[in-house]
Amino acid sequence: MNRKILNIVVNGESHQVLIEPHWTLLQVLRNEIGMMGTKENCLEAECGVCTVLLDGKAVNSCILLAGQVEGCSITTIEGIGDPEHLHPLQQTFIECGAVQCGYCIPGMILTAKSFLDENPGSRPSRDEIREAIAGTLCRCTGYSKIIDAVATAAERMAISGGSQ
Amino acid sequence: MNAQNHSVAGRRLPRLDGVGKVTGKHVYAADFKLPGMLYGKVLRSPRAHALIKKIDTSRAASIHGVRGIITSADIPAIRYGTAVRDTTVFAVDRVLFVGHAIAAVAATSLEIAERALEAIEVEYENLPTLFDPEEALNSNIRIHPNWETYKALPIIARSGNIAGQARIRVGDVEAAFAKSYKVYEHRFTTALQHPGYTEPRVATADWDANGNVTVWCNTQLPFDTQNTLAEILDLPSARVRVTVPGIGGGFGGKLRIGVEHFAALLARKTARPIKVMSTSEEELTAALPRQASVVLVKTGVDKDGHLLARSGKIIVDCGAYAGSGPGTAAISLQVMAGPYKTGALELEGIAVYTNKVHSGSFRAPAGPMANFAMECQMDMIAKDLGLDPLEIRLRNVVKEGDPGPSGEIHKSVSIEECLRKAANAIGWHDRKPEPGRGKGIACSWWMTTGGSSGVYVKINPDGTATLVSGAVEIGTGAITGAAQILAEELSLDLTDVNATGVDTQAAPFDYGAQGSRTAFSVGNACLAAAAELRRQMFELAAKQLDAPIEGMSLQDKHVIAGNKSISIAELARISRLAGGGLIAHGTAISPAPPYDPTRVQNHPLPVWNTPSYHAHAVDLSVDQATGKVTINRYVVAQDVGYAINPTYIEGQIEGGVAQGIGQALSEEIVYQDGRVMNANLTDYKMPTAMDVPEIESIIVECRSAAGPYGAKGVGEPPCIEPPAAIGNAIAAATGCWPNSLPMTAEKIAAALRVQQS
Repeated sequence: MNRKILNIVVNGESHQVLIEPHWTLLQVLRNEIGMMGTKENCLEAECGVCTVLLDGKAVNSCILLAGQVEGCSITTIEGIGDPEHLHPLQQTFIECGAVQCGYCIPGMILTAKSFLDENPGSRPSRDEIREAIAGTLCRCTGYSKIIDAVATAAERMAISGGSQ
Repeated sequence: MNAQNHSVAGRRLPRLDGVGKVTGKHVYAADFKLPGMLYGKVLRSPRAHALIKKIDTSRAASIHGVRGIITSADIPAIRYGTAVRDTTVFAVDRVLFVGHAIAAVAATSLEIAERALEAIEVEYENLPTLFDPEEALNSNIRIHPNWETYKALPIIARSGNIAGQARIRVGDVEAAFAKSYKVYEHRFTTALQHPGYTEPRVATADWDANGNVTVWCNTQLPFDTQNTLAEILDLPSARVRVTVPGIGGGFGGKLRIGVEHFAALLARKTARPIKVMSTSEEELTAALPRQASVVLVKTGVDKDGHLLARSGKIIVDCGAYAGSGPGTAAISLQVMAGPYKTGALELEGIAVYTNKVHSGSFRAPAGPMANFAMECQMDMIAKDLGLDPLEIRLRNVVKEGDPGPSGEIHKSVSIEECLRKAANAIGWHDRKPEPGRGKGIACSWWMTTGGSSGVYVKINPDGTATLVSGAVEIGTGAITGAAQILAEELSLDLTDVNATGVDTQAAPFDYGAQGSRTAFSVGNACLAAAAELRRQMFELAAKQLDAPIEGMSLQDKHVIAGNKSISIAELARISRLAGGGLIAHGTAISPAPPYDPTRVQNHPLPVWNTPSYHAHAVDLSVDQATGKVTINRYVVAQDVGYAINPTYIEGQIEGGVAQGIGQALSEEIVYQDGRVMNANLTDYKMPTAMDVPEIESIIVECRSAAGPYGAKGVGEPPCIEPPAAIGNAIAAATGCWPNSLPMTAEKIAAALRVQQS
């Protein structure tokens, strides 16, 4: 197999990975770099659990070839906060009861982060949040508490002055 | 202890596994890996019913990187199954549905395994097919020609293509029909629905030097999976260890073995660790979905709408293997009786084989199917008699002490309260005729499944507690709920409790995360463990404080004896040095209530434990041109007995209703000529955030005798009523009664066109 070197930055750390041309970003993140917080399910960009931020924008890592992200900066769920320093979205997802099985949650939080970062300081309506997260399927929650969590985080981030 | 004085139980505290889940640190079975691990893939049949004339794996085996291939010829000839032992790991001599496993390959990469599947040559000879469950009842074609040789639970009645047949009979139904003022007869159909968990079924297996196998997987029932694996592998179950690192949803779809057996068999064949994970296509063609069904209901009433007689028949299409079909057909009988007093009943549930995917126990199996038929007919009767749909229900609902369908006694009954609260919240009495807009109501009851639970609870030297349970936390928050009960009893904070993952080798037995029982049953086991720990701590404190045990209490993490006290942490440290530590084994079992066995035939769940009662009300609009339904408001009033954690109870209600809305309006695994036409998540339509309205939960607390602090089962009920409530609201909005799930815009628009012409 024709392997090539991929240079990417993941959560602020630079990586050189030997990849095969057909590998997806999801495969590289999970199998080569060990960022297991990025989940896998449909592998067809239909469910959204594999969502990561590519230069700040939410993308489905399961259909992005790794070779397409040469030199790019990737943020996974591990890169936005840790147990001692939770991101406001991570905090409100816990507080609002938005987490059940949790398998969609990393993708959901990153989707929400990308949406809130596009409009720093905004207080989006519930309908706007619904539309923003509609690409990520959650089978446990019925979405209401996820919307609560995103709205609450948006409010806190607006008060504290924009993006985090 | 008085529930009003609780400081941990009953409170909206954050779940114990929340931080791990929002930071990506929670390990799911799909994340688990071992060094040198191989990847497994399963070859599945493209034919619906055919003889296998030849399987040639030689070309596949010669591919570089392929480490092993197995077919039915390589494994013990064993049939397994819960009600009927009709299932094999691989198709034996014949395939029974498109998606039937034929062979499995182990390779050094997924890509190589996939290439190897393509290189396996199989020759088939087609057999006549059976796709329609009603046709299958009377057909001469046999899906299982040797069905008589299969073992089954003695209670299961089988014959030909019928995998199970149960009955409930109360009184003289023919005489009651004869006395009825009016008799109504309707037919409904429901569709095959996938549980829709976001983590596919996955397993990693590895054998040790002593011939023991460990399987890391996402089963809801580790002990059932352990036993089934032991049978398939022809080993004592103690040599099979099943562990669940974490599970991304289940909803009943992960009760029975999924891919664990493929992983264990391939790992044995190759002597290497191996991981097998389902694809979305395999999930939608070869997992364990909710059965499609045909429901026939005939009801006789008096002039005032009192139910005098009901006969009902549900035909459950269980696919190529019985799976949970016989149980589902049987449970549907209690659902068809409903939370109503009916003079006479004659209910029959039949599970029948077809050449389609075998099915499972998706959340409240039978609940939404039978309830859709029964509760939509209730509204049809009300309309014909000129009665309000709420009023006809209130005239018929059971009251405290009334007999249920099996002759059991209804206790802590709250159905009237639930109906009135849901109706008031939706503005039932303010209904105005408005074209294209309507309100609907439906109610039901449901069991809290029994089965035993054991927990070990250990007090650590820092005064915290470790909770070891054999029950999987599938996301409901049930283990957090059980930990709240434990913390309450030991005067700890919830965050002082550390709940471990499940490992069949280390954990006490638990009947599993199923049937709305986990918080209920594990909670009861925690009560028992806490009582034993209090005994141990008081005994030790009596020596340390030189005080009598009588009058001792636990407060704020201390044992208090008069004006003396000692901390739990100190007692744990002392016990470590002197007595092997503070540890308790708490157990719980809910015995089935007494019932009248003459009413019930061939029913594996003849009487319901600790039933809950609930009512749903919906306000929706129907686009008169397209048939598209928009839900404006949705209200649930559900009796949970005692709300251990209201946040996660609301979560169960909101999530269950969302699944019910999917079943009502959009979800169907669509078969055409035995082939699934929508085996992907674009064409299989689960509700997105744009499709689910805000769901308003009204938590009713009518304490049970058996549950911890009076709790009842919570998880399954919310998905039962949505199809009926939505169907009734669609009828109120359009005048057209849907009788087939899902009630797609296409079906509603077609009905509107018929009505207009």
